[in-house]
Amino acid sequence: MKAFLKSFVLLLAVAIAASAPAKEIKLLNVSYDPTRELYQDINAAFAKQWKDKTGDTIIVQQSHSGSGKQARAVIDGLEADVVTLALAYDIDAIADKSGQVAKDWQKRLPENSTPYTSTIVFLVRKGNPKGIKDWDDLIKPKVSVVTPNPKSSGGARWNYLAAWGYALKKNNNSEAKAKEFVTKLFENVKIMDTGARGATTTFAQRGIGDVLIAWENEAFLSLKDDPDKFEIVTPSISILAEPPVAWVDKVVKRHGTEEVAKAYLEFLYTPEGQEIAAKNFYRPRSQEVAQKYADKFPKITLFTVDELFGGWQKAQKVHFSDNGTFDQIQADNR
Amino acid sequence: MQQARADATSDAIGDLKQQIEALDQKVKVLERQKELDTEAAETKAKDTPKISVGNNGLSAASADGNFVFQLHGLVQVDNRTFFNDRDNHNQSIVGNDTFLLRRARPIFSGTLYKDFDYMFVPDFGGSSVQIFDAYVNYRYSPWLQVRAGKFKVPVGLEQLQSDPYTSFNERGLPTALMPNRDIGFQLWGDIGNGRLSYAAGVFNGVGDGRNTSNADFEDHREFAGRIFAQPFRGTSVTPLQNLGFGLAGSWGNVSSSATGLASAYLTDGQQQFFAYTNGVVANGTHWRLSPQGYYYWGPFGLLGEYVISDQEVTKGAVSADLQNTAWQVAAGWVLTGEDASYTGVTPKHPFDPRANHWGALQLVARYADLNIDDQAFPVFANPATSASEAKAWAVGLNWYLNKNIRANVSYSHTSFGGKINSAAATVTRQPEEVVFTRLQLAF
Repeated sequence: MKAFLKSFVLLLAVAIAASAPAKEIKLLNVSYDPTRELYQDINAAFAKQWKDKTGDTIIVQQSHSGSGKQARAVIDGLEADVVTLALAYDIDAIADKSGQVAKDWQKRLPENSTPYTSTIVFLVRKGNPKGIKDWDDLIKPKVSVVTPNPKSSGGARWNYLAAWGYALKKNNNSEAKAKEFVTKLFENVKIMDTGARGATTTFAQRGIGDVLIAWENEAFLSLKDDPDKFEIVTPSISILAEPPVAWVDKVVKRHGTEEVAKAYLEFLYTPEGQEIAAKNFYRPRSQEVAQKYADKFPKITLFTVDELFGGWQKAQKVHFSDNGTFDQIQADNR
Repeated sequence: MQQARADATSDAIGDLKQQIEALDQKVKVLERQKELDTEAAETKAKDTPKISVGNNGLSAASADGNFVFQLHGLVQVDNRTFFNDRDNHNQSIVGNDTFLLRRARPIFSGTLYKDFDYMFVPDFGGSSVQIFDAYVNYRYSPWLQVRAGKFKVPVGLEQLQSDPYTSFNERGLPTALMPNRDIGFQLWGDIGNGRLSYAAGVFNGVGDGRNTSNADFEDHREFAGRIFAQPFRGTSVTPLQNLGFGLAGSWGNVSSSATGLASAYLTDGQQQFFAYTNGVVANGTHWRLSPQGYYYWGPFGLLGEYVISDQEVTKGAVSADLQNTAWQVAAGWVLTGEDASYTGVTPKHPFDPRANHWGALQLVARYADLNIDDQAFPVFANPATSASEAKAWAVGLNWYLNKNIRANVSYSHTSFGGKINSAAATVTRQPEEVVFTRLQLAF
């Protein structure tokens, strides 16, 4: 019997050794709507770099939707290892409401944790039949504008604030004039998607509207896909959009992915990461890479949320909270 | 004049074109709005709690799946008929022929806050209501979980098999040397998609074949652990996918307590064939070791386990280290071709005579042996009444009408070894022969 037991234990030990799983690390990147293509490229490049460095296989899963909606999902328990959202307010909301992200998240990576920037431009139909050149053209009668819903879309909030900022600057910082301008603009909006990619679908694939107010990268992507159908119009002034990134502290600790998640986000700042961003029509932070792609991005006067709106917390409260300015505008337009 | 008319026509065409374009836009907006409304409805549906009723019982879950409540049930109505059980000495009948409600259990289980599972199982079968399982399980990940409360101690292979899935009405003789349910906590998990399972726990400690009485009457704890491998699970090596084997054991110290020895030592017919004499107490180390395994391939199933239960005992000034052993091999063949498994048989064609569907039929057989240490006699057990060995064989037929209802019939024969010669040895003087039937509802 002892011999049998010994053999049995030996067999069991062999089986245990054979059962050891190969090391495969999974990350979930919860991002906003138009970054699908960017992160497909980033994920492939990072996975290769990590494999070369450590031998481990990285699988980055992507989740995309409106930025505000994604932040809500993470607050409600979606196990994101990293969030790469459209605006800082959404990551602040995760930090404040769920405590999953450290409050000082924006100081942990360079450039306020914003590895690339973008801005807001117009996508119009080929030949620009409505003659749209600047923001003022969007409030003309019979101009149909497409933009997503600022309540759910980070991109839409950038669009809204870009229009508001333009009107402020044009009217000596008159908030009343700015509100009047944005009210007229939204009178021309007949349909609002929940996210920027949906709005692009509405404009580009469903053939609705004369002009799409869009992320610059999203507009370039549409142009790349259908150069014979669209044109990009760069307004005289726009907003500096700064989409931030952060690792989700409590999740990465729980998943044991802290090191990889940090490395993943740091990769965005590397020359390779910056090149990928530029190739995907995001404005790189790296001066060197920015110079290399200078002819790709038109020069444009940009203002920031901090300059004109006192930061995202204030902008959110004044414009996008319940009964905020956007709700008032919507009520007026009904 | 003609020019003016042409201009007017051209203007009218232009107006019409504009109207058509405007209408086209309106239609497109309406169509897109419908699309968005459908998407919104689908999203909302994802946020709606889900309630389902089916062959797995009743389940209600929050939309995100973080909160789940499930209601299951198990009812087993048995019949036992003993043969040739008239005692030779006093002509009394030894085995009670009886219908019995073997188990009647509502099973409440679920999940709280995604990672906390719970189970609560009272039993209304038998002569009194008992709580069989009552525990909370924290699931950090499949490979790292902690369970605390009352539940099965991770030692016996057949003991750990759920009640609705055992091949026979009663588990085999090795179960008489295994711990049943106890109170404590254990660390456990499945590694590599279940290719390796482990469990290690601390419990109050229970005697062989016994459930806890919900409290301990001596100071020492019992440690139990089990490691079980299914190295080919999920691989392409189909014939070996359901090969599993492992090693389990327990270790504890009992100090002068009778509780460790009031063991049942029951036959298949649930009659006691061995008992310690009055004054014998467990006093010292009690350890168990059990190599175990199963193999299922298609309709064929095989389950085997061996157990040593080593207990230091004392009676007055005499002490001994008794080592009782047991083993069993049980095999089955699903005659209707369905796959056999550790978790039962699912009929391909559930019982529906109108459609000429009859469910699944499984033939099962078992041989088991339990051997009491010779040192137990005559000081610690009475050789005139207690058997030193029980050998049991059984054959049976299991009819799975559907996933929830099963009917069994089986025959079991148990013979006893030793020097039994007392008139008081009513159970052990002749072999036990019993026919079981069962109607089982499990959902």
